[in-house]
Amino acid sequence: MYTWLTLNTSADLAQLEGHISGEYDPKGVAERLVDGISDAVKGVLIEENYIDKDYRSTYYNFYAKKGQRYRPDCVRLHFFDQTVSFDAHSLRLSCSDRLADHYYGYIVLRPTGIATIGRSIVSPDVRRGARGYIVSAEHKVHLLGYKLLVEGFPSMDQHNDISVCAHAACWSILRHYSERYSIYREFYTYDITLMAQEFDPGGLVPSKGLQLSHAERVFQEAGAFPVHITRDGPDDASFFRQISAYVESCFPLFAAMYREGHAVAVIGVERHQVAPPASGGVRFAWDMVASLIVVDDNELPYLSIPARSGSSIYSAEDIDAFIVPLPEKIFYPADAVERLAPTMFKLGSLVGLPAENETIIRYFITTGSSLRGFMRERESEYDQKLLETVMLLPFAQFVWVVEFATEAQWATGQVAARAVIDATASLREVMPFWLFHSRTHALVFDRQTISLELTAGMRGMKLAGMENTAFTRMEQNLRPIRTK
Amino acid sequence: MTDNEKKEDPKGTGVFSQIEGLTPVDPAALEDFKRAMTEKVIPEIVKVVEQRRVLAADSRRRHLKY
Repeated sequence: MYTWLTLNTSADLAQLEGHISGEYDPKGVAERLVDGISDAVKGVLIEENYIDKDYRSTYYNFYAKKGQRYRPDCVRLHFFDQTVSFDAHSLRLSCSDRLADHYYGYIVLRPTGIATIGRSIVSPDVRRGARGYIVSAEHKVHLLGYKLLVEGFPSMDQHNDISVCAHAACWSILRHYSERYSIYREFYTYDITLMAQEFDPGGLVPSKGLQLSHAERVFQEAGAFPVHITRDGPDDASFFRQISAYVESCFPLFAAMYREGHAVAVIGVERHQVAPPASGGVRFAWDMVASLIVVDDNELPYLSIPARSGSSIYSAEDIDAFIVPLPEKIFYPADAVERLAPTMFKLGSLVGLPAENETIIRYFITTGSSLRGFMRERESEYDQKLLETVMLLPFAQFVWVVEFATEAQWATGQVAARAVIDATASLREVMPFWLFHSRTHALVFDRQTISLELTAGMRGMKLAGMENTAFTRMEQNLRPIRTK
Repeated sequence: MTDNEKKEDPKGTGVFSQIEGLTPVDPAALEDFKRAMTEKVIPEIVKVVEQRRVLAADSRRRHLKY
């Protein structure tokens, strides 16, 4: 059964209560949606009797075993803009052009009475207060014979009994991985509760919470290689720089807050419009971050939390540890890049870098093929010799990219220099580079031979014609939020 | 090709032989960087990676519930 609600403003979502059975908590859901969804949503299609694979995984293994009787099916709410209408007789959705371009995603409601918001993929563009850039993937949605797409990040409320916040954060990250990367399979909610333990803990044990080691185990069981970084006291700037580096690399983070006993997925950043004043010395991309965007199972997705303590329920400063589920071949840790990058100013006479105290350093992981693709799309920004060099260098699959920009360049999305570091390098390598170049000079490294004589494996190259080109910052990893 | 390069890559199959416009780098220009890396940066990296390992061991026992 399908019911269409037309909305003038998001406040009209209160109508949900009149159309949905009480066990889905439509009143509580409507209150949250009124606060969290923008007025760009003008139509909601209520899809009843929806079979949700994640809820079913918990129904078969938990709810069906209880004395209290639970329904096996869910309700799904689909969000559309003002151009879409619905004919209840023909069950046809009409739109002046491509329907998928006017779809803002869905929220599944579970028949559990409490914490009813289940698997949801909502466009960040209609989340009130969400700004910045996020890790995202395209999710396919089948509705009434239409194939729709929504780009976003998965989220759900914790069940309280069968799963807690840490399960929900693991699930969000792994569902994103299974949609974005074909090497990861899909894991349902109940799978996550089992993966966290060495043996089946039985129904209510998950509600007692998870230890961080369990979350690490979930990612490892899923085929990822989790890196666990713990903050070393209140002044560990490197910890926060790594948060922004991994997010800018398109890896969502499982973030733990000890005091709150809470876990969230960190999935995006919002940058300051104007760079904060320099306090002397080199600055990092983290210094430009105004807020982090998180998926918190107690809130609607894309919650913005300030980078520094503020009026929000918590801030990035409350994060004590994070786990980043990486692919296998990233051996050179962010802690090493963090320390190597400022040292590269000592190669400044060979490459030509801005003054250290005027520079903002940004570092992130990407693949060699993404880097080549990025440069190929912007051929006019590069000396042809440099472009050929990047095409010929036999990069390992993953590389660390370090970009150096002045404040003025940062504001316009440009850089002064870029280094490409081998992500498979060893900790003790003096020159873990593939390439280091500015607008005028490049250093090229041969990593096919091992020589103790540093100059044997490197060459210089003078570049021409790049003095006034754009030399664009490499941003393609994250999706900008286009507030509607 | 210099004599050293011929010794290392006598058939000219290395990546440098495929790229035009490359010039040798003055070893003296690398000294500062090399010294900083070997005396300060690499020992720091090794130390911080070990510190992170110890901190993570403690962190693993932390409980998350809410």
